[in-house]
Amino acid sequence: MTHPATTTPRADQRSLRKFCTSPIARLILAGGLSLAIVLVAGVQLGAIDLSWAQVWAGLTGDSSEHVQRVVFELRLPRTLTGVLIGIHFALSGWLLQLLSRNPLAEAGILGISAGASLVAVVAFIIGDWLVSSANPYNNTSFALQYLPLFAMAGGLVTALAVYFLGMRHGHLSPVKMTLTGAVIAGMLHALTTGALAFWGHAHTELVAQWLAGSLYGAEWQHLHTLLPWTLIGLAGVALLVRPLEVMQLDDEHVRTLGLVLNRWRAFALLIATLLAASAVGVVGPVGFIGLLIPHISRRLAGANLPVQLVLCVLLGAVLAVLADLLGRTLFSPYEVPVGVVSAVLGVPFFLYLLSRQP
Amino acid sequence: MLRTEHLSLAYGDKPVVDNVSLAIPEGGITCLLGPNGSGKSTLLKSFAGLLPPRSGQVFLDNRPVTQWDRRRLALRLAMLPQKPIVPDGIRVRDLIALGRFPHRKWWQRNLTTDDNATIDAMAMTGVSDLAERPVEALSGGQQQRVWIAMALAQETDILLLDEPTTFLDWGYQLEVLELLSTLNREHGLTVVMSLHDLNQAAQFADRIAVLANGQLDTIGSPAEVITESLVNRVFRVHTSITAGREGRPFCTGFAESTQSRPKQRPHCTAAS
Repeated sequence: MTHPATTTPRADQRSLRKFCTSPIARLILAGGLSLAIVLVAGVQLGAIDLSWAQVWAGLTGDSSEHVQRVVFELRLPRTLTGVLIGIHFALSGWLLQLLSRNPLAEAGILGISAGASLVAVVAFIIGDWLVSSANPYNNTSFALQYLPLFAMAGGLVTALAVYFLGMRHGHLSPVKMTLTGAVIAGMLHALTTGALAFWGHAHTELVAQWLAGSLYGAEWQHLHTLLPWTLIGLAGVALLVRPLEVMQLDDEHVRTLGLVLNRWRAFALLIATLLAASAVGVVGPVGFIGLLIPHISRRLAGANLPVQLVLCVLLGAVLAVLADLLGRTLFSPYEVPVGVVSAVLGVPFFLYLLSRQP
Repeated sequence: MLRTEHLSLAYGDKPVVDNVSLAIPEGGITCLLGPNGSGKSTLLKSFAGLLPPRSGQVFLDNRPVTQWDRRRLALRLAMLPQKPIVPDGIRVRDLIALGRFPHRKWWQRNLTTDDNATIDAMAMTGVSDLAERPVEALSGGQQQRVWIAMALAQETDILLLDEPTTFLDWGYQLEVLELLSTLNREHGLTVVMSLHDLNQAAQFADRIAVLANGQLDTIGSPAEVITESLVNRVFRVHTSITAGREGRPFCTGFAESTQSRPKQRPHCTAAS
C-alpha cells in the first residue's frame, strides 16, 4: 500500500483553516469567550458596580484611589484566584476520573479534600496557638503560604490510603475505591469538626467559612501561593495526556501496549492530589467543580483528551468565577461561599446530564 | 520464539497452571483448549508477561518474558483480552491508533507512518468504512474486528487472543476466525488463542494444546489431539469423530454429557 506525502505548506494552510472552522475550535473559542465575559463581570460587579470606563481606568491606574483599590486589591486578585482554583479542581477531577476509570471520582468524593482540610485545620490551629503564645500581641495569623503544603500532605496520605484500599486482587476496583473514599471522607469530616469544636473556638467562624470553600478576602498573596502549583499541575497534566489515552483501556490491555501502568497511575494520582489539595489549602474544599466540569468537557469534546483538557481548564475557571460572582452579588451584602453556589448550580445540571444518559 | 519450561502459575495461593512445557510454532495458529478453569486464560496472560511465574519460565527468543522491557515486548507481542474496555465515545480510527503507542516515545503523538499503519490495519480487517463511527455503536462482530485491527496496528509478529469468539454469534465467530486465518497465511502472523469450540479449533488450528486442571494433557496437530477418548476424558462428552475436509477431525453425531444428570431433589417432606 502506498501513501502520498501530505505535508506540503498548502496542505498545512488548508488543515489550519479546516481546524479553525472545526467544531473543536468553536468549542474552545466559546469556552475562552465565556471565560473573558465572567472575568470582566467579576471585576465590574459587586457591592458597587463599576462602568467599563471605570474598570479600564482602574486597571491602567488612571482613576480615583477608591476605584483603584476596589479593582486592584479586591476584585482582580479574587477573580484570578477563582480562575486558578477552578482549574485546580476541574483538572484534579478529570485526572481522577480517568485514572480510576470511574465517572464518580473527584477529590471531594474520594476524601482527598477532606484529608487536606483536616491537616490544614489542625496545622492552622496549632500554628496560631504557637504564634500567639510566643507573642500575645502579635495579631498576624499563621502564615498562608504553608497551608497548601500541609493540605497536600494530608491529601496525599488520604489519596494513597484510598488507592490501596480500593484495590481488589491487585486491580483497582472503581466501586471499591469510591466507597472507600466516601467512608474515609466521612470519618475525616467528623475529625475536622471535632478538632474545630475542641480547639478552634478562637477561630471557629474563620475556619467554618474556609471549610465551606470561600474566596472571601482572597488577595494577591493567595494567588501567588497557588500559582506555582497551578504551573506544576498543568505541566504534569500535559505530560500525562498520551498515557491517559491508553490508560482508558483494560489494565492488562494497557500493559501489553507497553505502558508501565503502576508508575503512570501513581504519577497521575500525585498530580491530581497536588492540584486539589493545594487549592483546598488556599480557599478550602470547593466541591462539584471537579465532578461536573470533566463530565461537561467529555460531553462536549467526545473522546478527544487534549480538547477535554483545554475545556476543563476554561470551563473550570468559568464555573468558579461565576459561582463566586453570584455568591457575593445575589444576597449582597451577605456572601454565599463559592463552594455552596457551585454545588447549588452544579447538582441540578449534573442530574439533568444523568437523566439524558442513554 | 515463544515457549514455556516447567511453567507453574498461581493467583496468590491458588495454583492454576502446573508444570507446563510447550513451544508455540512460529507463523502458525495455536489453539488452547480445555474446560472452564483449566488455566487457558492464565497461560495466555503469562505469555504476555502479565503474570510472574511461580516456578519455571516463559521464554521469548530465549529470554524470560518477565525480564523484557514492557515497550520492547509490546513491539513483539500483542494481546486482546476477553472483555476489552471501550473508552467513552472513542471513534474506530482513534481506538485503532492506540495500537501505535509502543512505537512512539510516551510523549510523542502519532506520525504519518503511524497513521498509515492504522489505515492498513483497518483495510486488513475490513473496518475502513467504519473509521469515523463511535466504537460503542458497532455490532459485536464489528467491534471484535476493530479490536483485532488495533492489535494489528501494533505491528507485532505474535498475536494472543483470549476467547476471541465468546460473545459472538456463529456467523461472526467464523468471520473472526477466518480473518485470523487470512492474516496468518498472508502476513505470517503467529496466532495463539483460547477457544471453546472443538470443531472450530480443529478447522483453524495448526496445533492444539489441551489443558486439563492446569496441566498440559495433549499437544499436537488437530488430527492427533481431537480424538473420542480425549473428548471423553477432558470434556466429559460422548461423541463420534469423523475426518472432515483436509483430514481435519470433526465431532459429529449426538453429543451427550457423561456426567450423570443432577439427581432430582427429594421432595421436601417436612412441608407437605
